[in-house]
Amino acid sequence: MVYENLAEKYRAIKYGDFIGQEKAILEIKAFLHDFPKKKGIILHGPAGTGKTSLALAAAHENNLEVFELNASDTRNKAKLEELLKPAAQQQSLFKKGKIIIMDEVDGVTGSDIGGIPELVRILEVAKHPVIMTCNDIWQSKLAPIRQMCTLVEMKVLPPASMVQLLQKITIKEEVTKDLTTLQQLAIKSQGDLRAALNDLHSYAHTDSKIDTTERRDIEENIFNILRRLFKERQDFLDLFDSTKLSLDEVLLWIEENIPREYKNEALVKAYTALSKADVFRGRIYKNQFWRFLVYQNIFQSAGISYAKPAPQSGFTPYQAPKRILKIWQHNQKIIQKKSIAKKYALYAHCSIPRALRDFEIIRHIIKQPGVQEQLKLNEDEVAFLIK
Amino acid sequence: MSQSDIWTEKYRPHTFEEVVGQQEIIKRVRSLVQAMNIPHLMFAGPAGTGKSTLALITVKQLFGEAWKENYLELNASDERGIDVIRQKVKDFARTRALENIPFKVIFLDEADALTKEAQQALRRTMENYTNTCRFIMSCNYSSNIIDPIQSRCVVFRFKLLEKKDVLEVIKRIAEKEKLKLTPEALETLYEASEGDCRRAINLLQATASIALDINAEMINMISSSNKPTGVRIVLDYALAGDFLNARDKLLEVMLKESISGQDLIKIMQKEIWNLPIEPEVKVRLTEKTGECEFRMTEGSDEFVQLQALLASFVLAGQGKAL
Repeated sequence: MVYENLAEKYRAIKYGDFIGQEKAILEIKAFLHDFPKKKGIILHGPAGTGKTSLALAAAHENNLEVFELNASDTRNKAKLEELLKPAAQQQSLFKKGKIIIMDEVDGVTGSDIGGIPELVRILEVAKHPVIMTCNDIWQSKLAPIRQMCTLVEMKVLPPASMVQLLQKITIKEEVTKDLTTLQQLAIKSQGDLRAALNDLHSYAHTDSKIDTTERRDIEENIFNILRRLFKERQDFLDLFDSTKLSLDEVLLWIEENIPREYKNEALVKAYTALSKADVFRGRIYKNQFWRFLVYQNIFQSAGISYAKPAPQSGFTPYQAPKRILKIWQHNQKIIQKKSIAKKYALYAHCSIPRALRDFEIIRHIIKQPGVQEQLKLNEDEVAFLIK
Repeated sequence: MSQSDIWTEKYRPHTFEEVVGQQEIIKRVRSLVQAMNIPHLMFAGPAGTGKSTLALITVKQLFGEAWKENYLELNASDERGIDVIRQKVKDFARTRALENIPFKVIFLDEADALTKEAQQALRRTMENYTNTCRFIMSCNYSSNIIDPIQSRCVVFRFKLLEKKDVLEVIKRIAEKEKLKLTPEALETLYEASEGDCRRAINLLQATASIALDINAEMINMISSSNKPTGVRIVLDYALAGDFLNARDKLLEVMLKESISGQDLIKIMQKEIWNLPIEPEVKVRLTEKTGECEFRMTEGSDEFVQLQALLASFVLAGQGKAL
């Protein structure tokens, strides 16, 4: 029998309870490790992806006392100040460290006097890590906070993983639901685990069919977006609004697939547009000119669509961006080379990139046993040199 | 300390007198050091011209035996961001210098690797610790350093070492290590070093690890193993219209050779003149190459920009107007 709210009952407690959020967990670990390099971290993503759970899990894993604050509780300056300052400014009397969790920061609106500027000030003075969650990080009002925090995107749980999870829960709750029902629940939820569990709860003891047509906002799949962008010829200024990928992620997808779709003049025009989008992306990051997102968007939407002289047809097999993965794989392969270069650089008063660039020359020198000793190379590194 | 087996360290000069080249700068820095009080210094110039060496000599002359306790070396292109640098500076500056000199010295190498924002933050750090610390900054181009920092430093501009100076250094080391170099080997070594004294010494030691009698071929063999290969193949694929392969090869070259886009594009720019295309097209491609390189220095994504440039090579290969 189901008595309590399933979403609360099965809330993830430890890092190990999360599915598909490895990257977010790594980033939150790094953030806590490096604190106070950055005072705050923002977990962002659609509803039901585990933002609040992950924040609480981080506290749990590190044995930190949680100071939780919902923006909806305290929507004005006086209250925020009263509630956050003492926690943020005083070191705990006891050994236990504190962590400030601020849910739904996008709920702090313009009408809450001082809301965002106050949050900025709190981040500046905070002595404890601040974890914030929000759905839409790209709202302009959040720009000042964005600059001060590490941004971590929470991934939407894919339907297959969600079905597996729902199966486990139905077994534990002794509810019998066939696979099709669970699949329908998963699809209907659009990756929102909380919604799926709430639905499961409400359907648990009925035999009614699940109405999958009641999807609220339909997320357009990136493949559909690419197909429209590359095949049709339109302004497409709102095209990327329907994806949950950020503009920078979309840029990588476009980059990967331009040559699969365009040839010759169209190829050059499309890359010219994309390279301009990238120039503005660089300026946004360098100078924090968030308004330039407009230009980045136009170049990578209309700019790409109009690169061809006429609409195209036919099927093109698009691929996910591979570059980042390739770089990562390569870095794994040369881990020893990098650690050797680091030891050499420190010893010989030069930078690591320089040591890497002249590595083939330096390799002959480091191979000598006396030098290996002076650099204190470990066995793995020596093995790499001889290889 | 036992003597180093790495020659760039073993033969690094310890006194102003031992330094080859840069005589004008040596004279001025020495007079500052003799007064036992230095302002913030900025050493601007190409790699391997003696910037780190002069910084080290400065602290050794100032602090004598105790130089290590009073000297912090940071490399801006290695440290993970300005916050790490500020923390290290803070920790280091907390204690006062031991000797009769009221300050410590921080050498910030490759300071131009810092963004403008990071430099602003650094400037505040310099102000905060100005009583207890002196900064020596090195950079390739002082124009990449913000004015407020430049104006707080005495700027010294290091020139590329003259050929005779590089050869002088090489000959000194060869004599002490009992090496024999043919005159051609000396020439080849200088050419391959591109005037970078560190690279020249490294090349000499790498070659000496194979033989004590050194000829030009041996030097060529070692130095060519360090030259990025494959850039021409990237361009050939693009000229033949095979963009996907050109792009894959481009990433492969960059990763395998550990070279940045900014290093790679210099090779591309030289290679344009060896391509089988019309001279006017070469000029147009060079223009695009220059724009691409400029964008990289501005902080654009190197790989996106390089792809855009490669796309132009596809058109050039078909003899079409760019």
